[in-house]
Amino acid sequence: MEVSHSVKERTIAENSLVILLQGLCNRVTTVELRDESTASGRVTNVDAFMNVRLAEVTFMDRQGTLCHLDELFVTGRNVRYVHIPDDVDIRATIEQQLQAIHRVRYFGGRDKGRKEFPRTKH
Amino acid sequence: LYLNFAKDNKLASFLQAYDQHLNMILGDVEETVTTIEIDEETYEEIYKSTKRNIPMLFVRGDGVVLVAPPLRVG
Repeated sequence: MEVSHSVKERTIAENSLVILLQGLCNRVTTVELRDESTASGRVTNVDAFMNVRLAEVTFMDRQGTLCHLDELFVTGRNVRYVHIPDDVDIRATIEQQLQAIHRVRYFGGRDKGRKEFPRTKH
Repeated sequence: LYLNFAKDNKLASFLQAYDQHLNMILGDVEETVTTIEIDEETYEEIYKSTKRNIPMLFVRGDGVVLVAPPLRVG
């Protein structure tokens, strides 16, 4: 369960469906790109902007040429679809990711640690 | 639910989740890709359609053009 180190990325992820993609880490999926090429491989990381890092990838371009890659980085803007494996429980995955973020946010207890969103003083 | 995509792709499926960017999670997707081929000699337009079924799909909001309720027959 890797949570991003950046507050900005955490809030973006927390408020959108990218968080489901982040929960797909270490699963083998197929990512279809905007230009109709596809990349099948194990997801190693997804950030809040939907940039995807894959490992052990089979990349098929628009013409149908296959190519095997150890690692592949896809820019978020170029993603069209992400196939979700059948054995994924979507609700549970999202909840697990949100819990991981909350654990990071409340680290150190109520009065210790850095506050991400400080309580307003009246 | 019907979604019309950029570049002549249609998706018919059940909408499971969405967010403000229109990223969506769709179950039971039937994708229809329509291509137009032009015959060089007669200049006729031939419409080709290919269908694909995917059980569960995450769609990026960028590509979504139209979202509509299912068409009622009759």
